[in-house]
Amino acid sequence: MSDRLRGTGLLLRFALRRDRILLPAWVLVLTATVVASAAATGPLYATTAERVAAAEALNASPAIVALYGPILDTSSLGELSMTKMTVLYAVFVAFMSVVLVRRHTRVEEETGRAELVGATAVGVDAPLVAALAEAVLASVVLGVLVAVGNIASGLPATGSVLFGASWTGIGLVGAGITVLAAQLSSSARTVGFVASGAIGVLYLLRAIGDTSAGWLSWLTPFGWGTQLSAWSEPRAWLLVAYPLLAGALTAVGVALRRRRDLGAGLLPDRAGPAEGAPRLRDALALVWRQQGAALAGWTVGIGVIGVLMGSIVPNIGDLLDTETTRPIIEAMGGVGGLQDALVFALASVIAVVITCFGISAVTRAAGDEHDGRTEIVLATATSRAGLLVAVSSAAILGSTWLLLVSGTATAIGWGRGLGAVGAALAQAPAVWVVLGVALLLLSVRSRWAVAGWAVLAAFVTLGQVGAGLELPGWVLCLSPFHHVPKYPSEAFDWRPELLLTVLAAALVSVAWWRYRARDIG
Amino acid sequence: MSSTIEVRGLVKTFGSARALDGLDLEVAPGEVHGFLGPNGAGKSTTIRVLLGLLRSNGGAASVFGLDPWRDATDIHRRLAYVPGDVSVWPNLSGGETIDLLLRMRDLDPRSTRRDDLLERFELDPTKKGRAYSKGNRQKVALVAAFAAPTDLLILDEPTSGLDPLMEQVFNECLAEHKAAGTTVLLSSHILSEVERLADRVTIIRSGRTVESGSLEELRHLRRNRVRAEVSGPVPDLAGLDGVHDVTVDGRVVSASVDPSGLPPLLSALHHAGVVSLTSSPPTLEELFLDAYRSTP
Repeated sequence: MSDRLRGTGLLLRFALRRDRILLPAWVLVLTATVVASAAATGPLYATTAERVAAAEALNASPAIVALYGPILDTSSLGELSMTKMTVLYAVFVAFMSVVLVRRHTRVEEETGRAELVGATAVGVDAPLVAALAEAVLASVVLGVLVAVGNIASGLPATGSVLFGASWTGIGLVGAGITVLAAQLSSSARTVGFVASGAIGVLYLLRAIGDTSAGWLSWLTPFGWGTQLSAWSEPRAWLLVAYPLLAGALTAVGVALRRRRDLGAGLLPDRAGPAEGAPRLRDALALVWRQQGAALAGWTVGIGVIGVLMGSIVPNIGDLLDTETTRPIIEAMGGVGGLQDALVFALASVIAVVITCFGISAVTRAAGDEHDGRTEIVLATATSRAGLLVAVSSAAILGSTWLLLVSGTATAIGWGRGLGAVGAALAQAPAVWVVLGVALLLLSVRSRWAVAGWAVLAAFVTLGQVGAGLELPGWVLCLSPFHHVPKYPSEAFDWRPELLLTVLAAALVSVAWWRYRARDIG
Repeated sequence: MSSTIEVRGLVKTFGSARALDGLDLEVAPGEVHGFLGPNGAGKSTTIRVLLGLLRSNGGAASVFGLDPWRDATDIHRRLAYVPGDVSVWPNLSGGETIDLLLRMRDLDPRSTRRDDLLERFELDPTKKGRAYSKGNRQKVALVAAFAAPTDLLILDEPTSGLDPLMEQVFNECLAEHKAAGTTVLLSSHILSEVERLADRVTIIRSGRTVESGSLEELRHLRRNRVRAEVSGPVPDLAGLDGVHDVTVDGRVVSASVDPSGLPPLLSALHHAGVVSLTSSPPTLEELFLDAYRSTP
């Protein structure tokens, strides 16, 4: 047995070294979000009566319950503070494990690096166990930090610890799901889709359970977060369920791993057509063929989220009806104004998510170049202009399409027309600017394209915490999202939109100018 | 007639590293030109400059008399390229990739020999890119390159993933294109391959041209290996000018001989009563190693 695990420690240290930026960033951002929420909620709802009113308002909206889960103890400050964290943000904890485990298992196999490692005196199970160990370690550290952060923000200690433990648990489950998913397909991309899809289904089951068939919520780990009831009369025994499920998934995964060859998947590779369709004739068609499946998936996902978000909007008036917030609402022009403000806020969040699609299209082009596929395309009659136009169109048009989808879906959920569509499309120039930066990075050096993620993260962080940190105004102005008019709660202003569009066009032009002049590969 | 490829004093630097340091290369129309050098000598860098993927820092390069950087797409319409390390799109089938590459060269796959080549290379075109081995990925690129007549083939170590049977198919395909008048730049470090196929070779090292010419010319400059058996006492050959590496085994003597050393050697052997004599030209391998020994 020890032979099979030989080298696990070495591989774990190696994995931690490779993830030395990604992992701490993910853990810290999640911890900061929890602490910010815990610290902000207390002052907002000063009395128990206000908390109960807010919690009951939340529970009264099926859309909110579907999204966040119900609040079991309406008088609990902890539960109210962690409304978004308990279920919705737990998804990002699970995704952290998906990214880590996939990255160190199937991606390594697909690239052939696992073969290199496997040929050394490293045990058969060591790579899988090391990846798993990293995810477990990350989940535990995150759980501890979150618990400490909540206690420091003034929430009850027991509840904080239990809540932290539930996040650790969801991290373990995410790792277990990915260990299993990684055995199914030889494609790392498919493994990512399967694992994310499984998490999506578990989340959706809970949404159905929380809104209609209660027993369903007990069957999914996302339901356990709520049912644990961490903040009052906790069912601490439920914490055992996470490692049990994760262990079972892992055990099946490991058993499957032992039955298959390195690099192979249990699902057979489907054969493709022996001939290329006449449509598949140039760089544009190639890029859209590559992005097509992803865009279809995104369209469905963004559509569902949009409808859900939109259907929350009508309930917002009751939700924020407290002594503290009432004057603010009045100042904003009553409940109607509040709804408009929420539509803008939702649109700005979804716009950030949609920007991720565009950036992934750009980083995919960088991957093609790194692997040498760009070289064989540019050795044909395809011009550099043609290739960059293709990549830009996938990123920019794809994202714009998704904004339109999100706006339309929100409008359908809300039941009111153009406001939501306008709010979504108003975000487009800001999204284009971020994608312009990503394209420029790609055009300076293909390896820099991944920094597009960091740029987006920086802009989002500025928007989320910038005002709270009382940063100087010009720093906040660095983010293009800061300049988007707050339509529909404020009048639509063409000037910033036009300026952002011009800036985006300028960025793409400079990108084009650089791309023409640089070395490929 | 002007050269298909003409490179003079080409320089390419990556940061402080000089990948190409004054490289010369000339490929005449219709010839198969072997481009030899060890790993890291600058073969792939030269090819990437010729394809307009890299911008040179100095010197001149032209393909079909055009500027590879400025006129890249015009040049590319008239050539096919097979990289040394072929990467294909994981979710496209081999057949789709081949047809895409052909269409990107403004060719209609249906009017090419792709099906015939698929059969000869025993490549399953329905497999997805991620399922192909290195050799099969190489076959995808080779089928796309060989499927249609073209003016120039640029092949960068094209057989490194192929088994001997497939290498044979590759040789046949190359011979067919050569017969049709295609110019070929064949980079390799496999000497026997170049020796069999190339009309002329250029040997490079550390980004510089060490030798260039036809195999005959290069051989002429080099030592023949002479082996002789004599009836009388073995003469002392080591003192003769132009005769090197003398070894004696009984009545058999062998030595490496410069062209200038042949007359005195033959005279000495004649006096010693030569019974048998063989003289073999240097193999490309010897030329290769020799070229490297003589340049620091």
